[in-house]
Amino acid sequence: MADTLGRILLVEDDPKDVELTLTALEDYNLTNEVVVARDGEEALDYLYSRGSFKMRTNENPAVLLLDLKLPKIDGLEVLQTLKSDPKLKMIPVVVLTSSREERDMVASYKLGVNAYVVKPVDFHEFVNAIKELGVFWAIINEPPPGSVKRKQA
Amino acid sequence: MGTIGRAGLATTVGAAIRRFVGGGALATRSPPPRPLPPLKAARIAIERYGVAVAAVAVALGASLLLHRYRIERLEFPIFLFELALVVWYLGLGPAILAVVLSSLAFNYFFTEPLYTFYVNRTDLAYYIVFVLFAMLLTWFSAVRRRFERELLQSRDELQKEVAVRTQQASLLELTHDTIFVRDMDDVITYWNRGAQELFGWTAEEAVGKRSPQLLHTKFPIPVEDLREELVRASRWEGELERSKADGSRVVVASRWSLRRDGLGRPLAILETNNDVSDRKRREEEIRTLNQELGKRSSELEASNKELEAFAYSISHDLRAPLRHMVGYTELLQKHASSTLDEKSRRFMATILDSTKRMGNLIDDLLSFSRIARTETRETTVSLQQLVKEVRDEIQPETSGRDIAWRVGELPELRGDRAMLRLALVNLISNAVKFTRKRQHAEIEIGCLEKKNDGVTVFVKDNGVGFDMKYVNKLFGVFQRLHRAEAFEGTGIGLATVQRIIHRHGGKVWAEALLDAGATFFIEVPNRR
Repeated sequence: MADTLGRILLVEDDPKDVELTLTALEDYNLTNEVVVARDGEEALDYLYSRGSFKMRTNENPAVLLLDLKLPKIDGLEVLQTLKSDPKLKMIPVVVLTSSREERDMVASYKLGVNAYVVKPVDFHEFVNAIKELGVFWAIINEPPPGSVKRKQA
Repeated sequence: MGTIGRAGLATTVGAAIRRFVGGGALATRSPPPRPLPPLKAARIAIERYGVAVAAVAVALGASLLLHRYRIERLEFPIFLFELALVVWYLGLGPAILAVVLSSLAFNYFFTEPLYTFYVNRTDLAYYIVFVLFAMLLTWFSAVRRRFERELLQSRDELQKEVAVRTQQASLLELTHDTIFVRDMDDVITYWNRGAQELFGWTAEEAVGKRSPQLLHTKFPIPVEDLREELVRASRWEGELERSKADGSRVVVASRWSLRRDGLGRPLAILETNNDVSDRKRREEEIRTLNQELGKRSSELEASNKELEAFAYSISHDLRAPLRHMVGYTELLQKHASSTLDEKSRRFMATILDSTKRMGNLIDDLLSFSRIARTETRETTVSLQQLVKEVRDEIQPETSGRDIAWRVGELPELRGDRAMLRLALVNLISNAVKFTRKRQHAEIEIGCLEKKNDGVTVFVKDNGVGFDMKYVNKLFGVFQRLHRAEAFEGTGIGLATVQRIIHRHGGKVWAEALLDAGATFFIEVPNRR
């Protein structure tokens, strides 16, 4: 279940970034809550329960950590699809990207992103940022109805 | 003898009378400038009738005198002559009086029975002929007088008209505009001085020639269409290409007006021409320049797009591997710290240090390129406020140091706040950085006296300064005048400052002495 159902959907094409992100989330035992989609198409497949995710339950993730530069369908397109779908638009989306480009930021906010985080180059800062994100969105924040329930520890 | 004497008298009298009649005739014509006072008019009338009576008396006297010398049958022509004179010179009223008096006198003295007003049957015809003849004479004279008056009137009107026309023509002659008139066969009938100046032909040369042949006119549309338009609207405007007398071509803005006769038939065409060759040439130049500019700007746009794509790619793709290097080195440090010796740990610290430096370089380069790529958003910026913010921002760098700040009165100016802030951050943190080795640092920020509606702000420090022979390298990208171990930095800060100020239409410069401080100036025009 853990690999097809999670409260955090991480959309990230770079395996090293995936590993570093998961490492950062280790401290709070959030790793098992993470589902990784390696491009925009896979992310949409997961959200719409199609393709290799046909069999997953219909609950939505509590948060989507979304990289912008992705193969096939890029992050902004994923965001647009998500926010224009009445069933999916409630899912909180955090853009997690290397880019500090203003136009990306503006485009994301215009599409209704919930947060925009630039991945810090400094590892300690990076780890802290990911941890805080994970803690806030997966633990502190009450997700919208229809989201995956938190596993009771 | 007598005849001559009478004729002489008649001439003198006539001349005298003509003056009055002339005056009277003038008075009856178009409104006189000053009507005669009634007294004078009455006097003239009495004089005229008096003269008429006198003329009858003279005729009668002459006839009686001739009768005394047995020269008979002459009284009839004498009276007629007298009547003719009176009619001719004195007008209708005195003439009628003269006819009546003459008839009575003739009847009394010269028709049988003599010395009565009675006319016998045989002389009746003779008398009636006299009266009729006198009346006919009077009538002829009146008609003639009317004709004369009308003729005089027309002549005066004509003279006035001629005067007005002459004045108008001389005005046309005065204007610098090129004006000529041609008839409907294009034969030039009038050619003013302006036309001579523009085309080079004198009026004598041009008048009588056909204008299209003389000027080799090139029409923008078929001549027939142009004619049609002219006849329809009575006017036409357009640009024509024509030849001057020296053979050179000239472009004129031509305005045509059609003159018609009373029945609306086209009579003549008046043309006004203005030389627009210079304007045409300039338009052509502007067009060429615009095309060139369009090409340049699309080239520029293309290269700008490329630059943007490049920067975007740096922003995304160069930072990721850097982050991985840092991340994995950190992880390695964590995992293997117990097994690593001091040297290995130093190596790893160096790797981390270098990646961090590269991260800073990328960030600085991106912000540097962003200045060129983003639009400036102009607002009124308070430099005083901005300096305060910047000092707060660099607080961490200044803590624990002895810095004497002297911030003078700073003005407001129009500019992009974020960019100006970045420029000040660079200048002020440079001042802080390069005074680091001073026990007592002094940083002064102030404004030079306003000139040319611009604002000149300076940042002065008592830091290490630099050798002025390298001043031209100061604002170049990646140019550094200090070794990295002495003063850290990417060499982009001053290049950023320069680019920001250039984007504001201003300039930057610096003055320094090696080891005796530096002063950086920025001058920004205060655009409205």
